[in-house]
Amino acid sequence: MPSRLSVENLKSYFFTRSGLIKAVDDVSFSIEPGETLALVGESGCGKSMTALSLLRLLPEPGRIVGGEIHLDGKDLLRLPASEMRRIRGNDISMIFQEPMTSLNPVLKIGEQIAEALRLHRVTEPRQALTDAAELLDLVGIADPRRRLRDYPHQLSGGQRQRVMIAIALACDPKLLIADEPTTALDVTIQAQIMDLLLELKQQRQMATLLISHDLGVVAGNADKLAVMYAGQIVEQGKVQQVFTNPLHPYTRGLLNCVPRLGQKQDLPTISGHLPDLIKQPDGCLFIDRCPCPCTQCGNQAPAIEEIEPGHWVRCWRH
Amino acid sequence: MSLLEVKNLRKSFRISDSLGRTTGQLVAVDDLSFSLEKGEILGLVGESGCGKSTTGKLIMQLLKADSGQVFFAGKELSGLSSRQLRSHRKQVQMIFQDPFSSLNPRMTVGAILSEPFVVHKLAPAAQIRNRVIQLMEKVGLSAEHEQRYPHEFSGGQRQRIGIARALAVEPQLIIADEPVSALDLSVQAQIINLLKKLQQDHNLSYLFIAHDLAVIEHVSDRIAVMYLGRIVELTSAEELYRNPRHPYTEALMNAVPTPDPSHPRPVALKGEIPSPITPPSGCHFHPRCPYADDHCRRSAPNLVELGKDHQVACHHHQQVGKYLIREK
Repeated sequence: MPSRLSVENLKSYFFTRSGLIKAVDDVSFSIEPGETLALVGESGCGKSMTALSLLRLLPEPGRIVGGEIHLDGKDLLRLPASEMRRIRGNDISMIFQEPMTSLNPVLKIGEQIAEALRLHRVTEPRQALTDAAELLDLVGIADPRRRLRDYPHQLSGGQRQRVMIAIALACDPKLLIADEPTTALDVTIQAQIMDLLLELKQQRQMATLLISHDLGVVAGNADKLAVMYAGQIVEQGKVQQVFTNPLHPYTRGLLNCVPRLGQKQDLPTISGHLPDLIKQPDGCLFIDRCPCPCTQCGNQAPAIEEIEPGHWVRCWRH
Repeated sequence: MSLLEVKNLRKSFRISDSLGRTTGQLVAVDDLSFSLEKGEILGLVGESGCGKSTTGKLIMQLLKADSGQVFFAGKELSGLSSRQLRSHRKQVQMIFQDPFSSLNPRMTVGAILSEPFVVHKLAPAAQIRNRVIQLMEKVGLSAEHEQRYPHEFSGGQRQRIGIARALAVEPQLIIADEPVSALDLSVQAQIINLLKKLQQDHNLSYLFIAHDLAVIEHVSDRIAVMYLGRIVELTSAEELYRNPRHPYTEALMNAVPTPDPSHPRPVALKGEIPSPITPPSGCHFHPRCPYADDHCRRSAPNLVELGKDHQVACHHHQQVGKYLIREK
């Protein structure tokens, strides 16, 4: 039985005027129905470009140059453009960090949800609005019939994100990509939205790709996680495995530098910053920031290796 | 004498429709009182619309309060002339969330950092360059960055420039408004450590404004928790963590996601944050509060002293703690 989503050796490169940028470099992972994989990393590490590759929506001058993406066994990279358009919003939906910029400000939210329904399913307009109200109810918006007539600016940030989730769920997707879904929200609202996503995932057995920089959110909501650095996955495993036994120095650094309630000592930091993606070094990409590099690290890039069942790391000295 | 003392500060904004007619009033800050000692870090924490940034601007005298007073080193600020204000702003500096939008994109870092010396006549022209380089080194930038423009720096480096600019005039108090919330995790830790080190080296005071309770708790000596324009709890960081007495503080602590998969998931507080234009009656928190009763709907609780340096505004503060989740 194939996975719901399997990504193998995905390579998305950007051919810029100043040189080649390997934004996504040899990325592999899989997600089962009802499972959440979190993609973790700092800005510029390639997590959003990985998500856009899945939808084949890479911005110029980016191109997918290698690898395979299978959704329920279907190879997305070989589909004609027209068929790919049917997959987007239907089999794969995406929600974004800032709901206000992804909602149309001059359309009532009822029309925006109904639009998603009409584009992918043949429904008559009246039925589409009824279904839209049901979706709003599902995502926890009170008095959904009346809310259909509201414009996005009349809703709070949390409610807008609920509307985005309703649109994303309109066609019962097999895979939901949530790109920093709660980063722009207040903490008490963030917990509500994450609860909603968890409940919906369990109900509908959706596979979820959660993109987040917040390790707290990841710990409470994901089953597996992949840590990305400079376009590559440097560590991957079950959440329990990675959090209790982080093997890559970057993962360890990230876990250590989070301020936690009740702890006052100085925060350990990761020195340095992201390497220049155009002039990549020969060896390990993390070498300049690594607390204990060896000579091999400078000469040869490490491959990703399975250390215990399901727990992978890209490091010579794990 | 406290370095900063805020007494019964109130600020409201007029809400008007598209024709400019007044349709309502937004009370951003309501009867705010607190003090800040020399060398102390006071954290202001709360969610959007709670008035924490307005508080910072009122202290800078960038906004004029409706009523109430701000004392800095014993001097009342509202009566200051514009010349006196300029010298006040030398004592109090501000650091912002988005360093990029607060740096002039057409000036080099060297020029940005020389400006305070020129404006406040702090150094003879011949010495300014030296002072700028000293400043850059103090915040962890190298002297060779002097001729670069803000866009050539990463977010963390830009925040370092913002910090250097604030330090240039040797202020006593720095108001840091969400200084790390736009930064990546590893950079966030670097900037927090830098701010703490500078505070110790120069015996600075900070008013540290943030929405992230874990960050606030980490840096602050004392913490004021704000909700819809009012302080609901004010005490030391340790006491707040050990013994929160306001249901909103409890809810905030429960909502912080812990980077540990064995820790229980955050417990969501029900309901939305009400609009500050139409705040709920009585205690503003009552529609979301698990302890609320009729009394809370009718009358707003005052901030009362519970014991040594612990103030809380809640009718049911004795019961609070029932719903708190703790690490096993």
